[in-house]
Amino acid sequence: MINPFQEFKGRTSRRREIPLDQILRSKEETLSRILRGYENLLKNEAKDLVWLMQYSTVIKAYTIAEEGIKGIEYTAEDIEEFCYALDKTDQIPYLITGPAGVYISALCNHAKEEEIVLRLQDLNVKINLLGYRLPEGKRLVVEGNVGDFTGIGLDGGELVIEGSAKNYTGAGMKRGKIVVKNNVGFNTGHGMTGGEIVVGGRIKGLGKIVGGKIYEREHLIFPSEEMKPFFF
Amino acid sequence: MVSKDGYQEKIRRIYGFISENLYLNRPDLEIKGEYYNSALLFGILTAIYGGKELIIGEPGLGKTTSAEYVGCLLYRYPLGIIWGSEVSGHPEQTEEKIVGRPHLGELNKGNEVVVWSNFVQIPVKIVDEINRLPETKQSMILDGVDRGNWEYLNEILINDEYVLFATANYQDRGTNTIIAPLVDRFDVLVESRHPGPNIAFQIGRKSRLDNPLRHPEFERRFHEVLRTHMPYDQKLRRLEELCDLFGEYLMETVGVEGLKKEERQGIREELAKVPVDLDANAFLRMVLAEFSFCHRYGQKRSVEQCTEGCHYTGYICHHVKNCASNRLPTSVIGYSQALAWFLEDEEVDIEHVRMVLPFTLAHRVQWRDSYISKKEGEGRNDPLQIYLAKEATEEIFQRYNEQRDYLLEALSVAYQAFEGEEVTPLEGDHPLYEEIKKDIGSRR
Repeated sequence: MINPFQEFKGRTSRRREIPLDQILRSKEETLSRILRGYENLLKNEAKDLVWLMQYSTVIKAYTIAEEGIKGIEYTAEDIEEFCYALDKTDQIPYLITGPAGVYISALCNHAKEEEIVLRLQDLNVKINLLGYRLPEGKRLVVEGNVGDFTGIGLDGGELVIEGSAKNYTGAGMKRGKIVVKNNVGFNTGHGMTGGEIVVGGRIKGLGKIVGGKIYEREHLIFPSEEMKPFFF
Repeated sequence: MVSKDGYQEKIRRIYGFISENLYLNRPDLEIKGEYYNSALLFGILTAIYGGKELIIGEPGLGKTTSAEYVGCLLYRYPLGIIWGSEVSGHPEQTEEKIVGRPHLGELNKGNEVVVWSNFVQIPVKIVDEINRLPETKQSMILDGVDRGNWEYLNEILINDEYVLFATANYQDRGTNTIIAPLVDRFDVLVESRHPGPNIAFQIGRKSRLDNPLRHPEFERRFHEVLRTHMPYDQKLRRLEELCDLFGEYLMETVGVEGLKKEERQGIREELAKVPVDLDANAFLRMVLAEFSFCHRYGQKRSVEQCTEGCHYTGYICHHVKNCASNRLPTSVIGYSQALAWFLEDEEVDIEHVRMVLPFTLAHRVQWRDSYISKKEGEGRNDPLQIYLAKEATEEIFQRYNEQRDYLLEALSVAYQAFEGEEVTPLEGDHPLYEEIKKDIGSRR
């Protein structure tokens, strides 16, 4: 009797690949490399799941983050994917918003795109330190609210927050521009030496500002008669 | 491998000529980025494959016309001869008018000589309004339709090449049901549709008197040959000579070259060699399983009702009454090969099968009444039977995509098991896995 499965003789299981499969696979690979870099940062900087926000720790974390992302080919979409992966506790069991923000900032600063849009309005957590050291020529737009220390050490780039930011926004920034569409918290612009912070809503409080300009609802509030530059 | 001898180009030119000059239509099929009219495309495929096509539609929408033009141009018979050999379905139709009659002069002399009808003699056979033939008379043409064997008195005439087009109106007071064995013998069912008001207007403007496919002189000469009492094979040769001459006339007047008998034969040999790829193969097996499988009774039987609560309720087998006949895979593979050949593709792939399948299923499937009641009100562009067949095809196609890799693996393992190797057949949630186990079980 003829074998009715003759045509399938020796057929090894060969997956039919459509272009989408390839795209998805490459996306998955990229994301897993980004995640590995982040886990490496946590291993070095937050061994006990505690991370103290200090000037020196931020600098060190940023250096480790830059090392971790070296050689990874990624896009703005991958950064966004990473943010949502952070939000899922099953993927990253220990989301620490400080190192996470430093890491995301490193990713943004080294991305190929000049303009990066992160749609983070559905994130459950507010990430700190977004826009850290954003260099000149880069524009980072964040849809949603962000946490503390947003845009600190900004280095000539343009950071747009389509929501609200918390405390210490623009602290230590040197140049560039931060636009926050809604409100910001206390100590805004603390230690900033240059650049502009434009706030569409309300500013709860300003920090000790050395230089630059701050606008609240289109009014220049620093420097002004009431707020003079602070000299450390 | 599809040979590149230019026949496809010739046939595309015929399609284009009919489409632009004779059977103005609106494309309703897309395959691999190209658009075709289903009635015309399947007419052409039927002619090159040597198949049987049932064309349905409202009166006056070109059911017969499309078939006549295809037959005329591909077989190079003048339109008048095609018309003169058509059988019209009506209650008074007789075997003597359809098949043949005794030669009265010879009968008076005591000799039994059959005068065969033109319908039986020429390769292009058109039965107009087949469902107006009473059911008893439909049985008369079963064997001829199926095998090309025509019997009358003690004589037999065998067509070595023929193509059959039959038209049917939708059910009205004058129509009968086409009997199941006859309907199953049709390879495909298509609808000749309204072309839309704009094209219909263009059809209305065309002169009825000017038909380039008519040629009274040629028609007279064909009739002369058909009337003679020479042996049939000799008659066929004479007819082919006339076809050659009419073909030259067609080339000169309309610039379209028909196909010689040996060319048609060559094409059939070519398309029979078009390989079927593994996806098309496995997908068709999946389709056949869903249209023939019954978990409770072993296979579908039109006399047995599917029970409620069956594990396979979500599959097509639950919605149909009858079992897919063995003519179904023959039609699907044959027409898919013809389509792949026509499109100059190297092999039959799943897209060819997916396109052909609804037209091979539509007339063969007896859907359960409850399923028809559920589906008949849904918005659609096709007649219900084609619509249901298209829906079923897409449903199975989706299932195939979901389990394609696993199914191919299962079929590969089945090969090994059938060869007696110690392997365990793969389990899966589809009737086909059950059928594989039955095949392997019967072997062990």
